[in-house]
Amino acid sequence: MVEIRFHGRGGQGAVIASEILASALFKEGYYCQTFPEFGVERRGAPVQAFLRFDKKPIVIRYKVYHPDHIIILDSVLLNQINVTDGLKPYGTILINTNKEISFYSSFFSNYKVAVCDATQIALKYGLGTKTAPIINTAMLGAFVRIHSFVSLDSVLESIKEYVEVKQEENILACREAYEKVRFES
Amino acid sequence: MKESLIYGKKKVVTGNHAVSYGVLLSKAEVIAAYPITPQTQIVELLSEFCASGLLKAKFIKVESEHSAMAACVGAAATGCRTFTATSAHGLALMHEMLHWAVGGRLPIVLANVNRAMGPGWSVWTDQNDSLSQRDVGFVQFYCESNQEVLDTTIQAFKIAETCLIPVMLVLDAFVLSHTSEPVDIPYQEDVDKFLPPYKPKYFLDVNDPRAFGGLTSPDHYYEIRYKIEEAHRKALKVSEEVDNEFYQIFGRKYGVVESYQCEDAKLILVTSGTITGTARQVIDEERSKGKRVGLLKIRLFRPSPISQIKEILTKAEKVAVIDRNISFGHSGIFCQEIKSILYNEIRRPMVFGFVIGLGGRDVVPDDIREIIDFTYKADYPEEMVYFRGVRL
Amino acid sequence: MKKLDLKVKDYPELAVSWEKTLINKTGTWRTFYPKYFPKTPPCNYYCPANENIQKYIALTLKGALEEAYLTILEKNPFPSITGRVCYHPCETGCNRSNFDESIAIHMIERFLGDYGLNFVEPKRKSEKIDNNKKVAIIGSGPSGLSCAYYLLLNGIKVTILEREEDAGGILFYGIPSYRLPKEILKSEIEKLTKRGAKFIFKKELGKDFSLVDLTKEYDAVFLAIGAQIEQELGIPNEEAKGVLMGLDFLKEVNLKRKIKNFGKNVLVIGGGNTAIDCARVALRKGAKVKIIYRRTKEEMPAVKEEVEEAIKEGVEIIFLTAPVKIIKNKRGEVRGLECVKMKLSGEVDETGRRKPVPIRNSNFIIKGDTIIKAIGERVDLSILPKEIIGKKTIFADEYGKTNMEKVFAGGDCVTGPKTVVEAIAYGRKSAYLILHYLKNYEIPKKESFNLVSYENLNLYYFEKQKRIEENKLPINKRKRNFKEIITAVSDQEIRYEASRCFSCGVCNNCDNCYVFCPDLAILKKNGEYEILYDYCKGCGVCAHECPRNVISMFFEEEK
Repeated sequence: MVEIRFHGRGGQGAVIASEILASALFKEGYYCQTFPEFGVERRGAPVQAFLRFDKKPIVIRYKVYHPDHIIILDSVLLNQINVTDGLKPYGTILINTNKEISFYSSFFSNYKVAVCDATQIALKYGLGTKTAPIINTAMLGAFVRIHSFVSLDSVLESIKEYVEVKQEENILACREAYEKVRFES
Repeated sequence: MKESLIYGKKKVVTGNHAVSYGVLLSKAEVIAAYPITPQTQIVELLSEFCASGLLKAKFIKVESEHSAMAACVGAAATGCRTFTATSAHGLALMHEMLHWAVGGRLPIVLANVNRAMGPGWSVWTDQNDSLSQRDVGFVQFYCESNQEVLDTTIQAFKIAETCLIPVMLVLDAFVLSHTSEPVDIPYQEDVDKFLPPYKPKYFLDVNDPRAFGGLTSPDHYYEIRYKIEEAHRKALKVSEEVDNEFYQIFGRKYGVVESYQCEDAKLILVTSGTITGTARQVIDEERSKGKRVGLLKIRLFRPSPISQIKEILTKAEKVAVIDRNISFGHSGIFCQEIKSILYNEIRRPMVFGFVIGLGGRDVVPDDIREIIDFTYKADYPEEMVYFRGVRL
Repeated sequence: MKKLDLKVKDYPELAVSWEKTLINKTGTWRTFYPKYFPKTPPCNYYCPANENIQKYIALTLKGALEEAYLTILEKNPFPSITGRVCYHPCETGCNRSNFDESIAIHMIERFLGDYGLNFVEPKRKSEKIDNNKKVAIIGSGPSGLSCAYYLLLNGIKVTILEREEDAGGILFYGIPSYRLPKEILKSEIEKLTKRGAKFIFKKELGKDFSLVDLTKEYDAVFLAIGAQIEQELGIPNEEAKGVLMGLDFLKEVNLKRKIKNFGKNVLVIGGGNTAIDCARVALRKGAKVKIIYRRTKEEMPAVKEEVEEAIKEGVEIIFLTAPVKIIKNKRGEVRGLECVKMKLSGEVDETGRRKPVPIRNSNFIIKGDTIIKAIGERVDLSILPKEIIGKKTIFADEYGKTNMEKVFAGGDCVTGPKTVVEAIAYGRKSAYLILHYLKNYEIPKKESFNLVSYENLNLYYFEKQKRIEENKLPINKRKRNFKEIITAVSDQEIRYEASRCFSCGVCNNCDNCYVFCPDLAILKKNGEYEILYDYCKGCGVCAHECPRNVISMFFEEEK
């Protein structure tokens, strides 16, 4: 079983991103389970979403305490919360940032770091607004590239099912992030 | 929403939406609901279905849950297939009208998202809201997965209409209601085959005007109440039949209870709702270590599957009942039920009661392991109830 | 029904009645039974012409303006006139006046009258006239015109003889045009000319023809000569230059003639409508005006609104003062009026008012150069045959039947000076008696009135709403002209006002009875209600909840 944790802010689309990814994984034969942090949500407040997937049916029903990988939709969160809490050693931290990997590798020596400027990509395709770009689909493109759990095609197909506005732009953003993500192999 | 994206697909959906799809497929004709907190996305999606014309139902927005159930009572009395959804305090506010639904023998289906009662205010899960309504006479199903939620919704209408008794299906807040997982959404024609249009035996008919629910003297009241008891006994049988019939068409069945690894078990855990899933994994692990443990999942709470429970539990030496609820000053409610079922059996296990996870506190495998270990080691349940995980 | 032998299996699943609910004929429990029993709204009752006011207001509310207009015409041919000049006792009687403010009925009537003149009259067809029956009407005042209208409506040939050169009588010569514009009066009279009425002007009874002459030439004669003679004051120097008769003064002004001996300081004597009209007209002719009245404002017979307007415009009223002597100079011209102060005694006179008595040694002089006498009019009996004269007026019954064959009479010449609407009502009644006389028409039955009182309304269903206000010409724009003071209001305002009507005693399908009946014993059929007496328990809820007292309860025994 693989467990992923998303860190974002209310309104950035972390929950939808986890659902799109779950749906894509499911298409490729995985059982999956995804849920937001249980509680009340507010725009701008730090939020988390969780995803479990496995080749076997998933029966457990509790929170993800020890994720294999994490995805950070907003790099400012790194200064505010302990994002690596419970993260398994050698897990990957995918960060939405315009900085280089080297900037982060000293902080996260036990983990692998991947970076992608999803904000830039989302702005380019006019996703969300200039002050609140929606970067979730771009981050999924980056995620698909650095892990080989699921194909880009399945993710794109799921985006079509879950995203009703600016579908084409979301797909382009996802593809571009897939190309532009940088990571330690 | 495109119809092609709904019917006959496996979709990753939340528990809330699994109910909505179940109601859509069941072709409910009237939906009455209070639209704000503690309401859930169940009726949000249903209202979209109604607005788009996908579901040809009258959607009635009301000013309270009491009115929601009152509207359902009125609609069902005219012979409509009727649905409502609520949660926690909303269900509590419905209380009076729940009696009307039962006494009026109206086959209303109610989905309740299990949430803790306030104050302190909570939106997280426990079972005290639905169990507080134990004695009104609703049939109650507790679900474990989103697939089970959808399937039980469809089954609920059939059971309700066959026995003329309202049915409540219950799903845990967040753990099911907001968790997405793959759900097989049936084809409409299969559901139509399983669940034909409702043909009411009694309904308000201007051509045959009669008084419904009028004053009933002591000379008659008891007999009519006894009929409700008969309906519950019938509902137990019908629930099993309906589940089998469902299996014939859809290939899935749940049973009124489910026995998991109980055949040679010395210790059997009794669970309901989503704790069951986590417990399954723990049972597998313990079994692999050679412990003879099993699990009894209670899916149908009312009518109580007495003989099924007796048959499984009387073979064990110890029973640990896990309750995500509490009857203050006594113990967990499922535990009381299990004890009362077993009491007159000559060969009966010791019953340990554990209260856990109130107000949505997470129940993790370690909790269940500790319960198993504790029960294994204990000679006798010295306490009426053990409180797991409370910081004393 | 005990049915104690029943077992569980014999019962239905729920508590449902064994029998159809229809089997329980709860009507047998009744002591009192309700009945739709429409009653008379006070407006209709207090209207001297008994116009169906409630009905035309309801029609106005529905937007059926033509129908509303024609409803008025059943009782009053000239709503444009009465809407302007009537003192509207309907509004005084209106139940709404106890609640907030009465309905502005006169404004609705005026609106409908003007609407009718503009939009209904041009398309109305005239009735066919039967030339065999001819009626002469003497006098073209309100009762004459009214009688003529209803005769014409029923195909009688009508000739109206008028001593002046224009039709209308008091309407033309008495009422100033700031209250009733001449063009409105003309349009109303066109209703008659259009239907073939023949007017003969400048022919005066007693001078140019006699009553007997007419009875030979016509099948019937209707006397409507009014009360035109101004009463004398009976004080010294009444013959002085500058002493004018009220009605004469008004007539001269209405004819736009130059008035002889009209000065700058006018003293009007009297407290009735003629006095007020004279004062306001004199004001418009550029004079300073004082009214001298022997009692207080409370007792003034003039319409309250008119009195208030006169004061606003600048007329001074000197109350509790009576004239004693006219003061003149050597040339015989008026120079003032000697008066005496009065007080009201405990004694009540025949009009029901406290009798004024002079205060000794309180004489004083009011300066003035013109005196207008307006203390009341009387009928000119000198031109009439003795046999039809009563005490001070022509003697006739309430339909206008006199002691002379073929001769009928109505209006002020029978009643003494009264109001325009009363004259119109009289004219209409007389017309039906004449029709009975000539064509054996049935005389319309005397209406019976079952009045709805304020206490019998269910006020819970009404909300306080302000009455619409009249648009009035500002005071400073009324100087030296005779422009109509009250201007038209909008369609919306009239509809709003109509919506305030309680509809006392008349069902307006509010559905309260239908909704409230606890036994569903009231049905709606084709917009009407039907009580199912088989099931009505006589609880009286329908009667109680009827906001307008349409439903009444009656004792079952007396059914």
